[in-house]
Amino acid sequence: MAGLLDYSAGSTVLHRLNPIAKIALALAVCIAAFLSDSFVYLLVLLAFNVCIGLVGGIRKKTFSLLFGLVKICIFLFVLQVLFIRAGTPVFLFVTDEGLRIATLVVLRLIDATMPLALMLALTQMSDLSNALVKVLHLPYKYAFTVTTALKFIPVFTDEMSSIIESQTARGVDFDTKNPIRKLRLVLPLCAPLLITSVGRTEQAAMAAEVRGFYLRDRSSGSKEYPFGMIDGGALAVIVVLVVLAVLV
Amino acid sequence: MAAEHQPIIAIEKASFTYEGASKPALESIDLAVHEGDFLGIIGPSGAGKSTLVYSMNGIIPHYCKGDFFGSVSLGGNDTFETSLTDLSRIAATVFQDIDAQMVASVVEDEILFGLENFGVSKTEIEPRLAEALANVGISDLRNRAISSLSGGQKQKVAVAAVLALKPRVLLLDEPTGALDPASSRQIFELLRELNEHHGITVVVVEQKIGLLAEFTKRLAVLAGGMLRYCDETRAVLRNAAELLAIGVNVPRVTTLSLLLHEEGYGIDRFAVDVDEAKGMIEGIVA
Repeated sequence: MAGLLDYSAGSTVLHRLNPIAKIALALAVCIAAFLSDSFVYLLVLLAFNVCIGLVGGIRKKTFSLLFGLVKICIFLFVLQVLFIRAGTPVFLFVTDEGLRIATLVVLRLIDATMPLALMLALTQMSDLSNALVKVLHLPYKYAFTVTTALKFIPVFTDEMSSIIESQTARGVDFDTKNPIRKLRLVLPLCAPLLITSVGRTEQAAMAAEVRGFYLRDRSSGSKEYPFGMIDGGALAVIVVLVVLAVLV
Repeated sequence: MAAEHQPIIAIEKASFTYEGASKPALESIDLAVHEGDFLGIIGPSGAGKSTLVYSMNGIIPHYCKGDFFGSVSLGGNDTFETSLTDLSRIAATVFQDIDAQMVASVVEDEILFGLENFGVSKTEIEPRLAEALANVGISDLRNRAISSLSGGQKQKVAVAAVLALKPRVLLLDEPTGALDPASSRQIFELLRELNEHHGITVVVVEQKIGLLAEFTKRLAVLAGGMLRYCDETRAVLRNAAELLAIGVNVPRVTTLSLLLHEEGYGIDRFAVDVDEAKGMIEGIVA
């Protein structure tokens, strides 16, 4: 999943969109997904999400995200069907109401998760934090916290895989097919990883401070993030999505 | 002028013990670095090299917890009384852990971070950015994601990021740790250029003695938290036997000079690089 959040370079209309407009668009899709009760509209939103991926030129990422979510959703769907007892039974313990709600929940989950992940893949992290600080006046330290956390994901994934590789080289059975056994092998590694990550974070804070972190304010960023015509277009799409969600 | 003789880094009787540690990491260090100096610091692992750098840039006492005695001044400011941010206007640091010191996800933003923070004017930012990248030889990496770079490339980015700040003092903690010999040399050539032509004072912790011998003007040797030698590089290397005993290598040509000196060949100038060794041997043969 870490690779899914990585920025995919490009110059598509979505790449050129103001970072704030991208986040607003992503949030609008989330809100629309929760406002609507219509299956058709939720499917339209799903199609819209896929379109975002296609227009942004990240087809592969979009579909691997979608399939990843579908896997989680199958699990969620079964749980919902098992636990919702309202409605009339259609097959054994499965009720029509259970099926309806489970489908709604699953569709909403996919619709609401995809846009933010896709927008993160289409936005340079620094542009996002700079725009949040410049346009939305978010204090820099919060923007920095978020971007640093996201930046550290690949660093820690690398560290974890190097620990696993070195242990595999010493005969630990990490390539086992049994997921429970694998989990039991991986869990003890979390403690050393946590310890190194705390050390890493301290170093990061130190390095940022000696490069003037505390001097930074809203006017520091040298890049500007003006809103343009395409951002107006995005605003129109946002309004349409939300209004339709309420009406349909 | 008196001001010229005042060292830019003055360490007097400085000792530091990390919180929870039983032994001091630095013990009674007296060291003066003058403007325009190019000082190398070497010593075996755990000698206190990084701690010494931390005490120069103010990380100690501002960041690391522990007992600190003595005084350190940077550019005339007592590091105890001056904030870390103000100290970092004078001295820029490249840390040992390259991954941890990256603040951005793209090379360009990594360089911009410090420039923007220290309020460099917007018209000056672009030339400084381009110059820093070109100096380190990574102009082509400008738009690359940092996570996609090799260890050596990241190290160059870290050096470029502090170079762009044009500090008076440049502190580097093993800046060539992940670099191949050619790139390591390139970094040291760059440091020499900055030192000689831009007047930047350079303090570099390094394990590659060959580079230190060739490039630095002065060499400090640390062992067990104490400063064992601090003098002109050549003068320090004369103590080849003592250096080897405390776990510090000397260039092979210096060992050769030492051996010839002991054999009674009357070597008065120890060679620190191959060219000098060649001259020395030619002198003996002739």
